[in-house]
Amino acid sequence: MEMTEQMTIPQVSDETRRKHEQALPMWRIVLSQFAEHKMAVVGCIIIVLFMAIALSAPLIEAVTGLDPDAQNVFNRYQPPFTRTIAGQDIRETTIEKFTKDKPEVAQKLETSLIEKSLVTTQSPADALFELTSKPVPEALKILEQVGSSEALELKKTFQTFESYHLFGTDELGRDVFIRLIYGTRISMSVGVLVAIVSALVGLLIGALAGFYGGAIDTILMRVTDALISLPLLPVMIVIAAIDMQKLPALKALVSTQNESIFKMVLILCLFSWMTVARLVRGSILSLREREFILASKTLGATDFTIIFRHMFPNVIAPMLVSITLGVGESILFEAALSFLGLGIQPPTPSWGNMLFNAQELIYQAPFLAILPGVMILLTVISFNYLGDGLQDAVDPKAIRR
Amino acid sequence: MTTYILRRLIQTLAVIAILSYVCFYLMTLMPGDPVDMMISSNPKITAADVARLRELYGLDQPSYVRYSHWVGDILKGELGYSRTYRVPVQELLGPRLTSTFILSMVALIFSIAISVPLGVFSALRPGSKVDYVINFFSFAGISIPSFWLGIVCIIFFAVWIPLFPAGGTQTIGGPDAGFFADLLDRSKYLVLPVLSLSLQQIGRFVRFTRSAMLESLRNDFIRTAKAKGLPRQIIIWRHAFRNALIPLITILALSISSIFSGAIITETVFAYQGVGKLTYDSIIGNDFNVAMVSFIISVAMVLIMNLVADLLYGVADPRISYS
Repeated sequence: MEMTEQMTIPQVSDETRRKHEQALPMWRIVLSQFAEHKMAVVGCIIIVLFMAIALSAPLIEAVTGLDPDAQNVFNRYQPPFTRTIAGQDIRETTIEKFTKDKPEVAQKLETSLIEKSLVTTQSPADALFELTSKPVPEALKILEQVGSSEALELKKTFQTFESYHLFGTDELGRDVFIRLIYGTRISMSVGVLVAIVSALVGLLIGALAGFYGGAIDTILMRVTDALISLPLLPVMIVIAAIDMQKLPALKALVSTQNESIFKMVLILCLFSWMTVARLVRGSILSLREREFILASKTLGATDFTIIFRHMFPNVIAPMLVSITLGVGESILFEAALSFLGLGIQPPTPSWGNMLFNAQELIYQAPFLAILPGVMILLTVISFNYLGDGLQDAVDPKAIRR
Repeated sequence: MTTYILRRLIQTLAVIAILSYVCFYLMTLMPGDPVDMMISSNPKITAADVARLRELYGLDQPSYVRYSHWVGDILKGELGYSRTYRVPVQELLGPRLTSTFILSMVALIFSIAISVPLGVFSALRPGSKVDYVINFFSFAGISIPSFWLGIVCIIFFAVWIPLFPAGGTQTIGGPDAGFFADLLDRSKYLVLPVLSLSLQQIGRFVRFTRSAMLESLRNDFIRTAKAKGLPRQIIIWRHAFRNALIPLITILALSISSIFSGAIITETVFAYQGVGKLTYDSIIGNDFNVAMVSFIISVAMVLIMNLVADLLYGVADPRISYS
């Protein structure tokens, strides 16, 4: 009794002890492992950022007042950081619309402009148009001199004539910045969609082959091997070149507007499920011999229950890695096909088809070729690092760096 | 061994046959056929003429009948006539095949020569700064879109600093200055395409070499060799590297396929006159005969390379048997 009293056992309250003895949940372990991989964390942040940009594309359009489809032939190939002014014709049509929409406001303005002799013309109908033909800053100054509430209203319209192009303009005078943002939306969604669909297909095929074995396994794996050994790009080009409207089965699904996006996703899915299928088959083959599967079989579980309830949770971790890497690869393929003019069709912007024209324009506008590529590179490298980080996190046996 | 090769050959042929039919069928689904083009180029054509032409070309028959005719012609050695270039397909293919072969082999050798030393180097210093940097660059290499890299290369090394030609296969209409001058001329045109084609492979090879080497260095026999006091170089190259070679060969074999695929894009970007560009141009231009033949040739080349690589795998690792 005395001995124990003399021994200095650090006094720990029950609460702290409970905290220390509690086993960490799986996801906490994975998360802390993942956080150790610095580049993967950086990649994850970049991906989240790009996803946020992709989701908020319409918001960005509304805030900046830029239109991805607005063409302006007078302002082609503007270098980055330039301010451009809308052409005379565009200004006049806008003013015409203004006078038609708000006739009283326009009338009041016209009379006050003539009264204060800020315009040379005497006919009220021409007053606003004369203002339009002046350079925008001068017109704005004149409107300030008028100072009425109507003038402020028109001033807002005049301000839209002037736009700031952060990344310059392309061969049709469209703003590159907003097109890149919409491109992010398209490329990201194609990449993510393809990765998810092909993961599901791969999961199904791999599970069937691995679980049932025998003839099913042989047939499915032969097909998988044959598809893996194909040179993907030539095959994809042939398929991408077909006209989907000629296939009766698909005719109902596609409309001309979304055809290219739908086709892209379909083609990429067709050729990207194989890795997942092999992976799932491998894990299920080894899982099949484990005791807990035998136990559930003995308890009379159906095949469906065994596959979905007992096997899938064990396959998800390695699959997650494969999906992440798949997104990067799909984005690369989408960009390559769009670059060849067979993927996403203009005017819908995607990173790949923004490069389609850029190649011929490297003399006039080299920056047009640089930016979309940088976006692709950044995204794909982030997904690859994320996949690498996940791999390390879910598989502690892997070689530590 | 012989039965294995035979079986694989038959399998490969079967895949090529199936693919050729699929491709044939897909081409019937592409917008426009030869007669459509004649209609658009000749406004005076009548409906009766169109029907007659369609019958003449056999376009009114279902695709499998046309396919069997086509296969019959191919087996007789008639590859057909190119509508774009107005020459028989045979004449077109020879030089194109050589060009593509040169491009991909140079790219393959270049990427192996760069990446294997780099991979071994970083595997010997795991966790160091150098390892980190090499790892970053190999990740960048994997992630870079090769067509974009091609464009950037043209901007930097052909437009801003005019070191290399921006595209083409060789100087057109140049004087015939002998074999070596010709070789020099051609290699000048190869530099940028090879660079853009091999960067992705380099990234991939470096990563695989590194992990294969790390794996191999952890073996017990390496510790034994160290304990015996063998020189470091011998341990690295004779003991560790030889074992790391086995997984590497598989990756190299698979990469031949992706180099060939990638050549389509690289050739298009650099206007390099190879099979890849021919395939792409003929599909875009509806040049049916050329498209079929060049597509089948590119697929067959890849499949045969895969077969060769599988056999090489057995040579590298005597533990594998093909029974």
